[in-house]
Amino acid sequence: MKNSLLFSMIIVALGASLLISLALGRYEIDLRTLGQLLLWKFFTIGSAPNEVALLSNIVFDIRLPRILAVVLVGAALSVSGGAFQAMFVNPLVSPGILGVLAGASFGAALGIMISDSWFGVQLFSFVFGFVAVLVALGVAKIYGRSGSQTILLVLGGVISSSLFSALLSTVKYVADPYNKLPTIVYWLMGSFSAVDMKMVANVAFPLLISTIMLCLMGKYLNVLSLGDDDAKALGVRVTWVRNGAILLATLLSTLTVVVAGMIGWVGLIIPHIARFLVGADNRILLPMCALLGATFLVIVDTLCRTSMSVEIPIGIATSLIGIPIFVLALRNAKKGFA
Amino acid sequence: MSFYQAKNLFFSYNNKPVLQGVNLAIEKGSIVSLLGPNGTGKSTLMKLFLGLLTPKSGEVILKGKALQSYSIKERAYHVSYVPQSTQVAFAFFALDIVLMGRIAFETWFKKPSQADIQLAREAMDRLGILHLEKRTFQTLSGGEKQLVLIARSLAQGAKILVMDEPVSGLDYGNQLRLLETIMNLSQEGYTFLKSTHFPEHALMLGGYTYALKDGHILAHGLTCKTITQELINELYHTNIELKQTACGYPVCIPSFIHTKH
Repeated sequence: MKNSLLFSMIIVALGASLLISLALGRYEIDLRTLGQLLLWKFFTIGSAPNEVALLSNIVFDIRLPRILAVVLVGAALSVSGGAFQAMFVNPLVSPGILGVLAGASFGAALGIMISDSWFGVQLFSFVFGFVAVLVALGVAKIYGRSGSQTILLVLGGVISSSLFSALLSTVKYVADPYNKLPTIVYWLMGSFSAVDMKMVANVAFPLLISTIMLCLMGKYLNVLSLGDDDAKALGVRVTWVRNGAILLATLLSTLTVVVAGMIGWVGLIIPHIARFLVGADNRILLPMCALLGATFLVIVDTLCRTSMSVEIPIGIATSLIGIPIFVLALRNAKKGFA
Repeated sequence: MSFYQAKNLFFSYNNKPVLQGVNLAIEKGSIVSLLGPNGTGKSTLMKLFLGLLTPKSGEVILKGKALQSYSIKERAYHVSYVPQSTQVAFAFFALDIVLMGRIAFETWFKKPSQADIQLAREAMDRLGILHLEKRTFQTLSGGEKQLVLIARSLAQGAKILVMDEPVSGLDYGNQLRLLETIMNLSQEGYTFLKSTHFPEHALMLGGYTYALKDGHILAHGLTCKTITQELINELYHTNIELKQTACGYPVCIPSFIHTKH
């Protein structure tokens, strides 16, 4: 079948980009040595390569945690973007639609300003990501008795995003310009440079489980995209599905900010490319988003850390790469985003 | 005990009363046409019958049980909905849309089985649209879309179809073909509640007619007895004459025709 071929190809591409990403960096490792190291470490096949301590340190302690985080974040952003697009029946929606990214960014900035521990920053970021979505849902709920639920949610999201963007500006304005402000600005540009194994271990499980659960919700999201009345008449509990998907997508988006700051455009363009490849059926689309998003972000992150002598913030890179791709993807807009 | 029935339904949107004590009974296998001017509550009444809205007071009874007591899935086993139009923003195949009729039979981990796909294709075949299965829904014509949505209802397995103005936007030929489809399905035992803007269409299908105006049932009964010249003129503020053709079939003749000829 055409789809299974595509999936095999993208899995091979992901595997290849992972290996290349592990090999590249300030200290370049040739693929043969890397292969020898991986086989020896994971399958106890062959012998250890020369300088095994140094290589192990670079590959397993420095690069692997970062690359794992990149894979998880790429998949999470893309799947939550795809799910939001299905839910709002609008292909121009990105994961930030309900204000989660603005909220999490504000939380992180506030955390950087008032807390000295990295954990504090992450906690603030996580909490305010959820607070922002609750604000959006709350606004929608006030007027929720009449009219279309999706429109109200979008408006609630606009309000919540604006609110937390304004609060973020306030924090930036009052933050210590020599000590704190650069950290905040750098965080908002997105980076995986702070990732270590401990952080990956903390976020891997919720990211993985939520990604898989959203993928399993694909068929309900399909029905939801026909509109609430159709979906209810077909026997789908619309409120449950929508709230469940919002919860999972919010968890995913917030955690990406917690791990790597603001990374834009991935959640918008990857679902477009995936839809171009496998069609609109969310049962297939969402897993494709996950694989494609992971591959894309691994490639971009590798470019970010290897192409120049200083690391390029990944949020800037995804925007610069994402915008031209999106312009191309819009060509499909007339054909119903096929 | 009635098959499918509304008892003394009251409903309002934001304190603006829409339905004020509506009673409507549907017999198994019959076609019930809902007539009435725009904004009179036809769609609201149908949504109450589908359980998409909850009445302010009164209740809908389905097979002797209150509709509210059915779970949303159980309800979908009995009653299906053919909306006036469905906005499909994403490019789904016609077969995918029909297959969505099986969602109530699926669970989180259970994919649609071969039997489900077979059912969906059979439903399309029955309506003569199997050749459209791999076409994208948006690329279909209005008549084809309407047939796909009816096929979805058949795949859903529900024997009651609630249709909101099924012929709106269709050309003359597709209107007649759709009415014929409804007639055929009714003879196979399907029950229909449908709204229409065309008294002629109700007359063609026969069955029962309920005339709704200002939230009240103005008249109801066998279609051929209920639809009279007086009723149509009162419902729509028109001036028509209901005449019988040579074979006894009633047609509406608007009065302005006479002044022209």
